[in-house]
Amino acid sequence: MRMIKSAVVLGLAAGIGLAGTIAQASDDPIATRQAIMSSVGAAAGLGGGMMKGEIAYSPAAGKAAIATMRAASLSFGDFFPAGSDQGKTGAAAAIWEDPDGFSAELAKFAAATAKASEAAGKDGPADVEALKAAMGPVFGSCKSCHETYRKKN
Amino acid sequence: MKKAVIVLVVLGVVAAAAGWFLSAPTTLNQAQLAAFAPGDAAQGELVFWAGGCTSCHAAKDAEGDDKLKLGGGLRLETPFGVFVAPNISSSTADGIGAWSLEDFANAMTHGTSPDGRNYYPAFPYTSYARMSGADIGNLYAFLNTLPAVEGKAPPHELGFPFNIRRGIGLWKRLFLDPAPVIAAPAAGGDVDTALWERGRYLVEGPGHCGECHTPRNLAGGLELSRWLGGAPAPTGEGRIPDITPVEGGFGSWSAADIAYYLESGFTPEYDSVGGEMVHVQENMAKLPASDREAIAAYLKAIPAVVQTAN
Repeated sequence: MRMIKSAVVLGLAAGIGLAGTIAQASDDPIATRQAIMSSVGAAAGLGGGMMKGEIAYSPAAGKAAIATMRAASLSFGDFFPAGSDQGKTGAAAAIWEDPDGFSAELAKFAAATAKASEAAGKDGPADVEALKAAMGPVFGSCKSCHETYRKKN
Repeated sequence: MKKAVIVLVVLGVVAAAAGWFLSAPTTLNQAQLAAFAPGDAAQGELVFWAGGCTSCHAAKDAEGDDKLKLGGGLRLETPFGVFVAPNISSSTADGIGAWSLEDFANAMTHGTSPDGRNYYPAFPYTSYARMSGADIGNLYAFLNTLPAVEGKAPPHELGFPFNIRRGIGLWKRLFLDPAPVIAAPAAGGDVDTALWERGRYLVEGPGHCGECHTPRNLAGGLELSRWLGGAPAPTGEGRIPDITPVEGGFGSWSAADIAYYLESGFTPEYDSVGGEMVHVQENMAKLPASDREAIAAYLKAIPAVVQTAN
């Protein structure tokens, strides 16, 4: 009984600790979401470089690119609190004016990465063709969202 | 005194008559019309994608075959007012199905409607005027194969003085010029002239890139000395980028980078295309690779436009 209690306390403490970490990260939501998006850009660069044949293909690298996209698609949308439209940001006002539309784009991104992760499996896409098939819809979700929810340059 | 009044009245009448005459919608003459013949619909489909007709004339967010339903209705919110894209489907009642090739050629190259009114240059005939007679004939043939969409689009919402269509006739005299903007490839580097000229044709003509990427003067005419040098977005917030080979900017893109961007929608840094350019890129992706290479070759060999402090 006592053990269970301790475990609960520990769990809570860990939970609070985690919450504390998240709170810290979202102190600057603009910097956080930009860091996530730059990881997306790096993953797209790796994936795209392999598709173009500029980087030698390896299944592990394909998997890393997809896993990065996956993690970003699940977290990115949490860093657009009210008021974070001000400052040095490329986020368009449409994000806050049409939150449902923005959520729909995030859902599209997450659905595409879910499928890609599944296709990648344990060892990553076997070859470039498999990577293209898995990554294509993920890439499509980039511009679908950027069309409306990112400021022009 | 009486004499002076009479002189003033006469001068006023003369000025009004000159204004009326100069603002008259122009059309192609018989000799020019000989360059046009109804063409090949399959070729016309490529012209259709190069021209991006669907991006304004199809329903907003249209995908797949819906991009071929040109019922109009898209609203362009500009500083001059709201322009509403008309129905250009093959409907004879509401679209352009009843138009002759001559009607179509006059609209595309003179911005003049079949019933002799001026079109507003939100319809980029200032660029389309540089298209070849063959391409206009091919496009005419292709548009005739597309589905008829019933229903007219609502009228434009423009305030005075922009609601006076006749005035556009004067504007056209100032700003409608079918001559090429860039006469020859910029010096330096070896340029494949035929490829560059194909790129010039696509960019300055059907592609109508300059309509957004070039700044406009107060009268709404393009500042050709800053051709493709970037401009405030004509609709919505933000800026349209400078796509001249300027140092520290677009000049760092190789020709291959530009062609890849038009094909895939990714910049060299793997940022993705956004805004209205998404539609443009998706249209360009439907062209043969050689056309994207031609656009790239042209953009690499035009005068760089350096940004002044803003």
